[in-house]
Amino acid sequence: MEERLYDLVFICRPDTPESEVDKLVATLEQSATERGGKIEKVEKWGTRKLAYRVRKSREGYYVLLVLRGTRSDMIPELERRLKVSDPVIKYQTVRLDEEMKRQSKLTSRRERRAARRPRRQPAGEQAATTA
Amino acid sequence: MSEENKAPTPSEPAAAPSEAPAPVSSAPAPAAPSPSHSAPSQGRPSRPPGRGPRSDRPGGGPGGPRRGKRQFFRKKKVCRFCADRADFIDYKKADVLRGFVQERGKILPRRMTGTCSRHQRWLGEAIKRARNIALLPFGSQL
Repeated sequence: MEERLYDLVFICRPDTPESEVDKLVATLEQSATERGGKIEKVEKWGTRKLAYRVRKSREGYYVLLVLRGTRSDMIPELERRLKVSDPVIKYQTVRLDEEMKRQSKLTSRRERRAARRPRRQPAGEQAATTA
Repeated sequence: MSEENKAPTPSEPAAAPSEAPAPVSSAPAPAAPSPSHSAPSQGRPSRPPGRGPRSDRPGGGPGGPRRGKRQFFRKKKVCRFCADRADFIDYKKADVLRGFVQERGKILPRRMTGTCSRHQRWLGEAIKRARNIALLPFGSQL
């Protein structure tokens, strides 16, 4: 099967101690690897102001996890864990592999096209970017 | 039948909504408005269909000032994402996305931002994802 790419963002209560967050991340990592997944990146964005009140708080501690995996049962398990864990107030998983494929297709198509004909556009003929 | 903000007729702005008798004999006003009334994105014949992804043509097409109630100058700018050659609009970049959202949190229409149709679609998806994760509001008081 193809490997899938996911973005998993979750938000903890702002007063959650760092150690708990790390513990949670470790648990998730373990669950993922048990199911053949790989954690590609862990980003802790720290405490941010929320755009609206979530579970009575206006701030939250954001964590991003980028995962790859082939088995489709990885994500429901992770989400289940997040759902039951107390400090987590919100989570969202986005599946990104199709988008990345499309992006690389567009990028390569653009580069091929640019290489084929003489460059005539003055404005920054650089590789495609992510906005 | 008022062409409030939809149909930029080529006639004078004096063809105000309900003044049918059009005393101003300036334009071929009477018959012309009706067909363009139903096509919201019609206008000047040279308007590109909104799919000009990689050329430097302005994404929305310069229609000139809109006739009707509000006279907007169409932004003659190109789609910002096309100019950057963006192939993916990241929902995690709230600061970028915020530029496409009103004060109240509503998504701005394409004609205000000059975005091309493809990027507008991606933009909408990204904004909605960001809203889910409380990076952008669903709506705020004004």
